[in-house]
Amino acid sequence: MKLSIDELRATAAARLQTCAQIKKMIVSRLDLPIEPDWITDDQPLFGRGLELDSLDVLELYVAIEAEFGVALYDSDMSVFGSVSRLADHVNPKLAEANSLTGA
Amino acid sequence: MDSLTSPLAAVHPEGTEYGAAQEAHVALRYTTLDEEYTAIRERAAVLDLSGSRVLEVSGSDATDFMQRALARDVEYLTSERCMTSLVLDEEGLVVDQVVVWGREDGMLVESSVGGGARLLEHLRSVAGEDRVEIKDLTGEQVLLGLEGPYAWGVVGRLVDGELAALPFESVVDTTWDGVDVLFARTGVTGEYGYKVLVPHDQAATLWAKAVEQATPAGHEALELAMLEVRQPTHHEHADGADVLTMGANWLVDITKESFIGRDAVLAAFSGGATRRTVGFSGGDTVPAAGTPVTVGGEQVGVVVHAVHSIGLGAPLGLARLDADLAAAGLRLTVGDADVTTLTSPYVTPKSWSTPII
Repeated sequence: MKLSIDELRATAAARLQTCAQIKKMIVSRLDLPIEPDWITDDQPLFGRGLELDSLDVLELYVAIEAEFGVALYDSDMSVFGSVSRLADHVNPKLAEANSLTGA
Repeated sequence: MDSLTSPLAAVHPEGTEYGAAQEAHVALRYTTLDEEYTAIRERAAVLDLSGSRVLEVSGSDATDFMQRALARDVEYLTSERCMTSLVLDEEGLVVDQVVVWGREDGMLVESSVGGGARLLEHLRSVAGEDRVEIKDLTGEQVLLGLEGPYAWGVVGRLVDGELAALPFESVVDTTWDGVDVLFARTGVTGEYGYKVLVPHDQAATLWAKAVEQATPAGHEALELAMLEVRQPTHHEHADGADVLTMGANWLVDITKESFIGRDAVLAAFSGGATRRTVGFSGGDTVPAAGTPVTVGGEQVGVVVHAVHSIGLGAPLGLARLDADLAAAGLRLTVGDADVTTLTSPYVTPKSWSTPII
Protein backbone atom coordinates (compact mmCIF):
# COMPACT_ATOMS: atom_id res chain seq x y z
CA MET A 1 0.00 0.00 0.00
CA LYS A 2 1.37 3.37 -0.98
CA LEU A 3 1.44 6.07 1.64
CA SER A 4 0.79 9.75 1.10
CA ILE A 5 3.70 12.10 1.34
CA ASP A 6 2.62 13.20 4.80
CA GLU A 7 2.39 9.59 5.95
CA LEU A 8 5.83 8.92 4.47
CA ARG A 9 7.24 11.92 6.30
CA ALA A 10 5.80 10.60 9.56
CA THR A 11 7.30 7.15 8.91
CA ALA A 12 10.65 8.70 8.06
CA ALA A 13 10.52 10.86 11.18
CA ALA A 14 10.07 7.77 13.36
CA ARG A 15 13.14 6.10 11.85
CA LEU A 16 15.22 9.25 11.99
CA GLN A 17 14.23 9.65 15.64
CA THR A 18 15.39 6.12 16.45
CA CYS A 19 18.65 6.71 14.57
CA ALA A 20 19.16 9.99 16.44
CA GLN A 21 18.62 8.21 19.76
CA ILE A 22 21.19 5.56 18.81
CA LYS A 23 23.75 8.18 17.76
CA LYS A 24 23.28 10.06 21.02
CA MET A 25 23.74 6.82 22.95
CA ILE A 26 26.93 5.94 21.03
CA VAL A 27 28.48 9.37 21.54
CA SER A 28 27.55 9.42 25.21
CA ARG A 29 28.57 5.86 26.10
CA LEU A 30 31.81 5.90 24.14
CA ASP A 31 32.60 9.51 25.00
CA LEU A 32 33.21 10.46 21.37
CA PRO A 33 34.36 14.05 20.73
CA ILE A 34 31.70 14.74 18.06
CA GLU A 35 28.10 15.85 17.95
CA PRO A 36 25.69 12.93 17.47
CA ASP A 37 24.25 14.53 14.32
CA TRP A 38 27.68 14.32 12.70
CA ILE A 39 27.23 10.53 12.50
CA THR A 40 25.21 9.53 9.44
CA ASP A 41 22.56 6.80 9.35
CA ASP A 42 24.56 4.80 6.78
CA GLN A 43 27.90 5.24 8.53
CA PRO A 44 29.71 1.96 9.13
CA LEU A 45 30.60 1.41 12.77
CA PHE A 46 33.58 -0.96 12.51
CA GLY A 47 36.83 -0.81 10.58
CA ARG A 48 36.11 2.14 8.36
CA GLY A 49 33.54 4.59 9.63
CA LEU A 50 33.40 5.13 13.38
CA GLU A 51 36.30 2.66 13.79
CA LEU A 52 34.85 1.03 16.90
CA ASP A 53 36.71 -1.90 18.43
CA SER A 54 35.65 -5.00 20.35
CA LEU A 55 35.65 -3.20 23.71
CA ASP A 56 33.34 -0.57 22.26
CA VAL A 57 31.01 -3.36 21.16
CA LEU A 58 30.77 -4.72 24.68
CA GLU A 59 29.88 -1.27 25.92
CA LEU A 60 27.22 -0.92 23.23
CA TYR A 61 25.66 -4.31 24.04
CA VAL A 62 25.08 -3.11 27.58
CA ALA A 63 23.91 0.32 26.48
CA ILE A 64 21.44 -0.98 23.91
CA GLU A 65 19.84 -3.37 26.37
CA ALA A 66 19.59 -0.63 28.97
CA GLU A 67 18.20 1.98 26.60
CA PHE A 68 16.05 -0.08 24.24
CA GLY A 69 15.42 -3.28 26.19
CA VAL A 70 16.84 -5.35 23.32
CA ALA A 71 19.44 -8.05 23.85
CA LEU A 72 21.89 -8.50 20.97
CA TYR A 73 24.06 -11.54 20.39
CA ASP A 74 27.71 -11.44 19.43
CA SER A 75 27.19 -14.08 16.75
CA ASP A 76 25.58 -11.49 14.47
CA MET A 77 28.01 -8.64 13.95
CA SER A 78 26.00 -7.41 10.97
CA VAL A 79 23.81 -5.61 13.52
CA PHE A 80 26.59 -3.05 13.69
CA GLY A 81 26.78 -2.58 9.93
CA SER A 82 25.47 0.96 10.32
CA VAL A 83 23.37 3.11 12.64
CA SER A 84 20.38 2.40 10.43
CA ARG A 85 21.00 -1.37 10.58
CA LEU A 86 21.16 -1.11 14.36
CA ALA A 87 17.87 0.81 14.28
CA ASP A 88 16.27 -2.15 12.48
CA HIS A 89 17.17 -4.33 15.45
CA VAL A 90 16.22 -2.07 18.32
CA ASN A 91 12.92 -1.20 16.61
CA PRO A 92 11.89 -4.23 14.51
CA LYS A 93 8.98 -2.36 12.94
CA LEU A 94 11.54 -0.27 11.08
CA ALA A 95 12.98 -3.38 9.43
CA GLU A 96 9.73 -4.59 7.87
CA ALA A 97 10.03 -2.65 4.63
CA ASN A 98 13.66 -3.64 4.23
CA SER A 99 12.84 -7.31 4.69
CA LEU A 100 10.47 -7.06 1.73
CA THR A 101 13.45 -6.31 -0.50
CA GLY A 102 15.69 -8.95 1.01
CA ALA A 103 18.17 -6.28 2.06
CA MET B 1 47.79 14.88 -18.85
CA ASP B 2 47.24 11.80 -21.03
CA SER B 3 44.69 9.17 -20.10
CA LEU B 4 46.09 6.69 -17.60
CA THR B 5 46.39 3.22 -19.11
CA SER B 6 47.31 0.03 -17.32
CA PRO B 7 50.89 -1.23 -17.66
CA LEU B 8 49.35 -4.68 -17.18
CA ALA B 9 47.14 -4.49 -20.27
CA ALA B 10 49.51 -6.79 -22.17
CA VAL B 11 48.97 -9.59 -19.65
CA HIS B 12 45.24 -9.12 -19.18
CA PRO B 13 43.16 -12.01 -20.55
CA GLU B 14 42.23 -11.92 -24.22
CA GLY B 15 38.82 -10.36 -24.69
CA THR B 16 39.12 -7.95 -21.74
CA GLU B 17 36.67 -5.07 -22.09
CA TYR B 18 38.04 -1.62 -21.33
CA GLY B 19 36.38 1.70 -20.61
CA ALA B 20 36.82 5.07 -18.96
CA ALA B 21 36.85 5.68 -15.22
CA GLN B 22 37.39 9.43 -14.93
CA GLU B 23 40.89 9.98 -16.44
CA ALA B 24 41.82 6.30 -16.47
CA HIS B 25 41.35 3.69 -19.18
CA VAL B 26 40.59 0.62 -17.06
CA ALA B 27 39.64 -3.01 -17.45
CA LEU B 28 35.89 -3.05 -16.90
CA ARG B 29 35.52 -6.83 -17.28
CA TYR B 30 37.93 -9.67 -17.95
CA THR B 31 35.24 -12.35 -18.26
CA THR B 32 31.70 -11.69 -17.04
CA LEU B 33 30.45 -9.33 -14.37
CA ASP B 34 28.65 -12.19 -12.65
CA GLU B 35 31.79 -14.32 -12.40
CA GLU B 36 33.95 -11.48 -11.16
CA TYR B 37 31.39 -10.23 -8.66
CA THR B 38 30.96 -13.76 -7.29
CA ALA B 39 34.71 -13.99 -6.79
CA ILE B 40 34.66 -10.80 -4.71
CA ARG B 41 31.70 -11.90 -2.60
CA GLU B 42 32.35 -15.64 -2.33
CA ARG B 43 36.04 -16.38 -2.88
CA ALA B 44 38.91 -14.03 -3.75
CA ALA B 45 39.49 -11.58 -6.58
CA VAL B 46 42.64 -9.86 -7.79
CA LEU B 47 42.32 -6.26 -8.95
CA ASP B 48 44.47 -4.18 -11.28
CA LEU B 49 44.37 -0.83 -9.48
CA SER B 50 46.84 0.94 -11.75
CA GLY B 51 44.07 3.42 -12.59
CA SER B 52 44.89 4.97 -9.22
CA ARG B 53 47.84 7.34 -9.18
CA VAL B 54 50.22 6.98 -6.24
CA LEU B 55 51.76 10.31 -5.27
CA GLU B 56 54.78 10.61 -3.01
CA VAL B 57 54.68 13.67 -0.77
CA SER B 58 58.00 14.37 0.92
CA GLY B 59 60.03 17.26 2.30
CA SER B 60 60.35 19.03 5.64
CA ASP B 61 56.80 20.43 5.49
CA ALA B 62 55.19 17.21 4.26
CA THR B 63 53.22 16.43 7.42
CA ASP B 64 51.99 20.00 7.89
CA PHE B 65 51.05 20.20 4.23
CA MET B 66 49.10 16.95 4.35
CA GLN B 67 47.37 18.04 7.55
CA ARG B 68 46.15 21.07 5.63
CA ALA B 69 45.23 19.19 2.46
CA LEU B 70 43.43 16.21 4.00
CA ALA B 71 40.09 16.24 5.77
CA ARG B 72 41.23 13.63 8.30
CA ASP B 73 44.00 13.84 10.89
CA VAL B 74 47.32 12.38 9.70
CA GLU B 75 49.66 14.11 12.14
CA TYR B 76 50.50 10.82 13.87
CA LEU B 77 50.19 8.50 10.89
CA THR B 78 53.15 6.14 11.25
CA SER B 79 54.90 4.21 8.50
CA GLU B 80 52.93 1.12 9.59
CA ARG B 81 49.50 2.63 9.00
CA CYS B 82 47.26 3.89 6.21
CA MET B 83 43.87 5.59 6.28
CA THR B 84 41.13 6.81 3.97
CA SER B 85 40.29 10.50 3.75
CA LEU B 86 38.60 13.05 1.55
CA VAL B 87 40.52 15.90 -0.05
CA LEU B 88 38.30 18.98 -0.21
CA ASP B 89 38.52 22.34 -1.91
CA GLU B 90 37.87 25.65 -0.14
CA GLU B 91 34.13 25.33 -0.87
CA GLY B 92 34.08 21.97 0.90
CA LEU B 93 33.51 20.05 -2.33
CA VAL B 94 35.25 16.75 -2.91
CA VAL B 95 38.46 16.81 -4.96
CA ASP B 96 39.10 13.11 -4.41
CA GLN B 97 38.79 10.24 -1.98
CA VAL B 98 42.28 9.00 -1.16
CA VAL B 99 44.17 6.41 0.86
CA VAL B 100 47.14 7.90 2.69
CA TRP B 101 50.05 5.58 3.46
CA GLY B 102 52.40 6.67 6.23
CA ARG B 103 56.11 6.64 5.35
CA GLU B 104 59.27 7.46 7.26
CA ASP B 105 59.81 10.50 5.06
CA GLY B 106 56.41 11.93 4.18
CA MET B 107 53.44 9.97 2.87
CA LEU B 108 52.09 8.20 -0.18
CA VAL B 109 48.71 9.36 -1.43
CA GLU B 110 46.69 6.89 -3.47
CA SER B 111 44.01 8.55 -5.59
CA SER B 112 40.65 7.05 -6.45
CA VAL B 113 40.62 5.09 -9.71
CA GLY B 114 40.87 7.75 -12.40
CA GLY B 115 40.96 10.65 -9.96
CA GLY B 116 44.74 11.10 -9.84
CA ALA B 117 45.29 13.90 -12.35
CA ARG B 118 42.74 16.15 -10.65
CA LEU B 119 44.21 15.29 -7.24
CA LEU B 120 47.77 15.98 -8.36
CA GLU B 121 46.81 19.33 -9.85
CA HIS B 122 44.96 20.30 -6.68
CA LEU B 123 47.79 19.31 -4.32
CA ARG B 124 50.35 21.18 -6.38
CA SER B 125 48.11 24.25 -6.49
CA VAL B 126 47.68 24.39 -2.71
CA ALA B 127 51.31 23.56 -1.85
CA GLY B 128 52.22 27.24 -2.16
CA GLU B 129 55.46 28.03 -0.34
CA ASP B 130 55.46 24.76 1.60
CA ARG B 131 58.71 22.83 1.42
CA VAL B 132 57.21 19.74 -0.13
CA GLU B 133 57.89 17.68 -3.19
CA ILE B 134 54.91 15.96 -4.80
CA LYS B 135 56.06 13.21 -7.11
CA ASP B 136 53.79 11.09 -9.30
CA LEU B 137 55.00 7.48 -9.01
CA THR B 138 52.97 6.37 -12.03
CA GLY B 139 55.36 4.46 -14.25
CA GLU B 140 57.50 3.42 -11.28
CA GLN B 141 55.07 1.58 -9.02
CA VAL B 142 51.89 -0.40 -9.72
CA LEU B 143 49.07 -1.05 -7.27
CA LEU B 144 47.36 -4.45 -7.14
CA GLY B 145 44.46 -5.39 -4.87
CA LEU B 146 42.88 -8.50 -3.41
CA GLU B 147 39.28 -8.57 -2.17
CA GLY B 148 37.12 -11.43 -0.95
CA PRO B 149 36.18 -13.56 2.05
CA TYR B 150 39.11 -15.86 1.27
CA ALA B 151 41.56 -13.20 0.08
CA TRP B 152 43.54 -13.89 3.23
CA GLY B 153 44.28 -17.37 1.89
CA VAL B 154 45.69 -15.90 -1.31
CA VAL B 155 47.92 -13.61 0.75
CA GLY B 156 49.24 -16.66 2.53
CA ARG B 157 50.01 -18.52 -0.67
CA LEU B 158 51.30 -15.51 -2.55
CA VAL B 159 53.18 -13.38 -0.01
CA ASP B 160 53.23 -14.37 3.66
CA GLY B 161 50.51 -15.98 5.77
CA GLU B 162 51.31 -13.79 8.76
CA LEU B 163 50.40 -10.68 6.77
CA ALA B 164 46.85 -11.91 6.19
CA ALA B 165 45.77 -11.23 9.77
CA LEU B 166 47.25 -7.75 10.06
CA PRO B 167 44.93 -5.24 11.74
CA PHE B 168 42.80 -3.20 9.34
CA GLU B 169 44.76 -0.31 7.77
CA SER B 170 48.16 -1.75 8.65
CA VAL B 171 51.12 -1.24 6.29
CA VAL B 172 54.21 -3.46 6.06
CA ASP B 173 57.41 -3.12 4.06
CA THR B 174 58.13 -6.62 2.87
CA THR B 175 59.52 -8.56 -0.06
CA TRP B 176 57.89 -10.66 -2.72
CA ASP B 177 60.08 -12.89 -4.88
CA GLY B 178 63.12 -10.93 -3.71
CA VAL B 179 61.61 -7.56 -4.60
CA ASP B 180 60.77 -4.82 -2.10
CA VAL B 181 57.01 -4.23 -1.99
CA LEU B 182 54.64 -2.28 0.22
CA PHE B 183 51.77 -4.35 1.59
CA ALA B 184 48.59 -3.08 3.29
CA ARG B 185 45.41 -4.53 4.77
CA THR B 186 42.66 -2.30 3.41
CA GLY B 187 39.33 -3.27 1.82
CA VAL B 188 36.56 -1.30 0.12
CA THR B 189 33.90 -3.95 -0.51
CA GLY B 190 33.26 -5.04 3.07
CA GLU B 191 35.19 -8.24 2.34
CA TYR B 192 38.77 -8.87 3.45
CA GLY B 193 40.98 -6.60 1.37
CA TYR B 194 44.70 -6.14 0.73
CA LYS B 195 46.89 -4.03 -1.52
CA VAL B 196 50.41 -4.49 -2.80
CA LEU B 197 52.47 -1.66 -4.26
CA VAL B 198 55.05 -3.32 -6.49
CA PRO B 199 57.81 -1.93 -8.73
CA HIS B 200 56.66 -1.46 -12.33
CA ASP B 201 59.08 -4.07 -13.70
CA GLN B 202 57.73 -6.78 -11.41
CA ALA B 203 54.03 -5.97 -11.66
CA ALA B 204 53.25 -8.29 -14.56
CA THR B 205 54.93 -11.22 -12.81
CA LEU B 206 53.03 -10.60 -9.58
CA TRP B 207 49.77 -10.25 -11.53
CA ALA B 208 50.41 -13.58 -13.28
CA LYS B 209 51.10 -15.30 -9.95
CA ALA B 210 48.03 -13.70 -8.38
CA VAL B 211 45.62 -14.83 -11.10
CA GLU B 212 46.77 -18.41 -10.47
CA GLN B 213 45.28 -18.01 -6.98
CA ALA B 214 42.36 -15.61 -7.48
CA THR B 215 39.92 -14.54 -10.17
CA PRO B 216 40.75 -11.24 -11.88
CA ALA B 217 37.90 -8.78 -11.35
CA GLY B 218 37.44 -5.59 -13.31
CA HIS B 219 36.35 -2.10 -12.36
CA GLU B 220 32.66 -2.81 -12.92
CA ALA B 221 32.52 -5.62 -10.34
CA LEU B 222 34.60 -3.60 -7.90
CA GLU B 223 32.32 -0.55 -8.08
CA LEU B 224 29.22 -2.71 -7.69
CA ALA B 225 30.62 -4.39 -4.58
CA MET B 226 31.61 -0.98 -3.20
CA LEU B 227 28.11 0.43 -3.76
CA GLU B 228 26.52 -2.56 -2.02
CA VAL B 229 28.30 -1.60 1.23
CA ARG B 230 27.84 2.16 0.67
CA GLN B 231 31.55 2.78 0.10
CA PRO B 232 31.70 6.17 -1.65
CA THR B 233 32.71 6.32 -5.30
CA HIS B 234 33.29 9.28 -7.57
CA HIS B 235 29.71 8.98 -8.85
CA GLU B 236 28.52 10.41 -5.55
CA HIS B 237 30.32 13.72 -5.87
CA ALA B 238 30.42 14.06 -9.63
CA ASP B 239 27.44 16.44 -9.42
CA GLY B 240 29.20 18.72 -6.93
CA ALA B 241 27.36 17.49 -3.84
CA ASP B 242 28.86 18.51 -0.53
CA VAL B 243 30.07 16.15 2.18
CA LEU B 244 26.85 16.27 4.22
CA THR B 245 24.59 15.68 1.25
CA MET B 246 26.74 12.70 0.25
CA GLY B 247 26.76 11.35 3.80
CA ALA B 248 30.55 11.08 3.69
CA ASN B 249 31.00 12.65 7.13
CA TRP B 250 33.07 9.67 8.27
CA LEU B 251 35.81 10.67 5.84
CA VAL B 252 36.11 14.10 7.46
CA ASP B 253 37.52 14.72 10.95
CA ILE B 254 35.49 17.67 12.11
CA THR B 255 37.46 17.82 15.39
CA LYS B 256 40.63 18.68 13.48
CA GLU B 257 41.44 22.35 13.98
CA SER B 258 42.25 23.29 10.44
CA PHE B 259 42.12 21.87 6.92
CA ILE B 260 41.10 23.09 3.50
CA GLY B 261 37.31 23.08 3.25
CA ARG B 262 36.66 22.91 7.00
CA ASP B 263 34.88 26.25 7.22
CA ALA B 264 32.54 25.32 4.39
CA VAL B 265 31.77 21.94 5.94
CA LEU B 266 31.09 23.52 9.33
CA ALA B 267 28.81 26.12 7.76
CA ALA B 268 26.88 23.40 5.95
CA PHE B 269 26.60 21.39 9.18
CA SER B 270 25.27 24.41 11.06
CA GLY B 271 22.77 25.12 8.32
CA GLY B 272 21.58 21.52 8.03
CA ALA B 273 21.60 19.73 4.70
CA THR B 274 18.38 20.12 2.70
CA ARG B 275 19.02 16.87 0.86
CA ARG B 276 20.64 13.61 1.87
CA THR B 277 21.64 10.43 0.06
CA VAL B 278 19.85 7.12 0.58
CA GLY B 279 20.09 3.74 -1.13
CA PHE B 280 17.09 2.23 -2.87
CA SER B 281 16.15 -0.93 -4.71
CA GLY B 282 13.24 -1.98 -6.89
CA GLY B 283 11.84 -2.00 -10.39
CA ASP B 284 12.97 -4.06 -13.35
CA THR B 285 15.33 -1.65 -15.06
CA VAL B 286 18.29 0.42 -13.87
CA PRO B 287 17.26 4.09 -13.75
CA ALA B 288 19.57 6.68 -15.26
CA ALA B 289 21.26 9.31 -13.12
CA GLY B 290 18.93 12.28 -12.90
CA THR B 291 15.70 10.24 -12.94
CA PRO B 292 13.17 11.98 -10.67
CA VAL B 293 12.11 10.36 -7.39
CA THR B 294 8.47 11.08 -6.65
CA VAL B 295 5.68 10.53 -4.15
CA GLY B 296 2.16 10.83 -5.52
CA GLY B 297 3.52 12.73 -8.50
CA GLU B 298 5.45 15.22 -6.36
CA GLN B 299 9.22 15.21 -6.90
CA VAL B 300 11.14 14.63 -3.67
CA GLY B 301 14.54 13.77 -5.06
CA VAL B 302 16.69 12.53 -7.91
CA VAL B 303 18.71 9.41 -8.73
CA VAL B 304 22.47 9.93 -8.35
CA HIS B 305 23.78 6.59 -9.60
CA ALA B 306 22.33 3.13 -10.10
CA VAL B 307 23.40 -0.31 -11.29
CA HIS B 308 22.03 -3.83 -11.29
CA SER B 309 23.03 -5.42 -8.00
CA ILE B 310 23.90 -9.08 -8.33
CA GLY B 311 23.77 -9.43 -4.55
CA LEU B 312 20.20 -8.14 -4.38
CA GLY B 313 19.11 -9.50 -7.75
CA ALA B 314 17.55 -6.14 -8.52
CA PRO B 315 18.46 -2.58 -9.44
CA LEU B 316 20.33 -0.75 -6.68
CA GLY B 317 20.87 2.96 -6.60
CA LEU B 318 21.54 6.05 -4.57
CA ALA B 319 19.09 8.92 -4.50
CA ARG B 320 19.28 12.46 -3.16
CA LEU B 321 16.07 13.04 -1.23
CA ASP B 322 14.56 15.85 0.77
CA ALA B 323 16.21 15.53 4.18
CA ASP B 324 12.94 14.72 5.96
CA LEU B 325 12.39 11.76 3.61
CA ALA B 326 15.97 10.48 3.67
CA ALA B 327 15.30 7.33 5.68
CA ALA B 328 15.31 3.60 5.05
CA GLY B 329 12.10 1.65 4.66
CA LEU B 330 10.05 4.06 2.53
CA ARG B 331 8.15 3.15 -0.64
CA LEU B 332 8.86 5.74 -3.32
CA THR B 333 8.60 5.98 -7.09
CA VAL B 334 11.64 6.24 -9.36
CA GLY B 335 10.59 6.98 -12.92
CA ASP B 336 7.67 4.56 -13.26
CA ALA B 337 8.97 1.95 -10.83
CA ASP B 338 8.13 1.36 -7.18
CA VAL B 339 11.24 1.23 -5.03
CA THR B 340 12.09 0.93 -1.36
CA THR B 341 14.78 2.88 0.44
CA LEU B 342 17.31 0.65 2.17
CA THR B 343 19.38 0.15 5.26
CA SER B 344 23.13 0.12 4.64
CA PRO B 345 25.01 -2.12 3.95
CA TYR B 346 22.64 -3.34 1.26
CA VAL B 347 24.44 -6.69 1.04
CA THR B 348 26.00 -8.27 4.14
CA PRO B 349 29.62 -9.20 3.35
CA LYS B 350 30.50 -12.86 3.78
CA SER B 351 33.77 -11.83 5.44
CA TRP B 352 31.82 -10.65 8.48
CA SER B 353 31.13 -14.27 9.34
CA THR B 354 34.30 -15.80 7.86
CA PRO B 355 37.27 -15.92 10.26
CA ILE B 356 40.86 -15.72 9.10
CA ILE B 357 42.45 -19.05 10.05
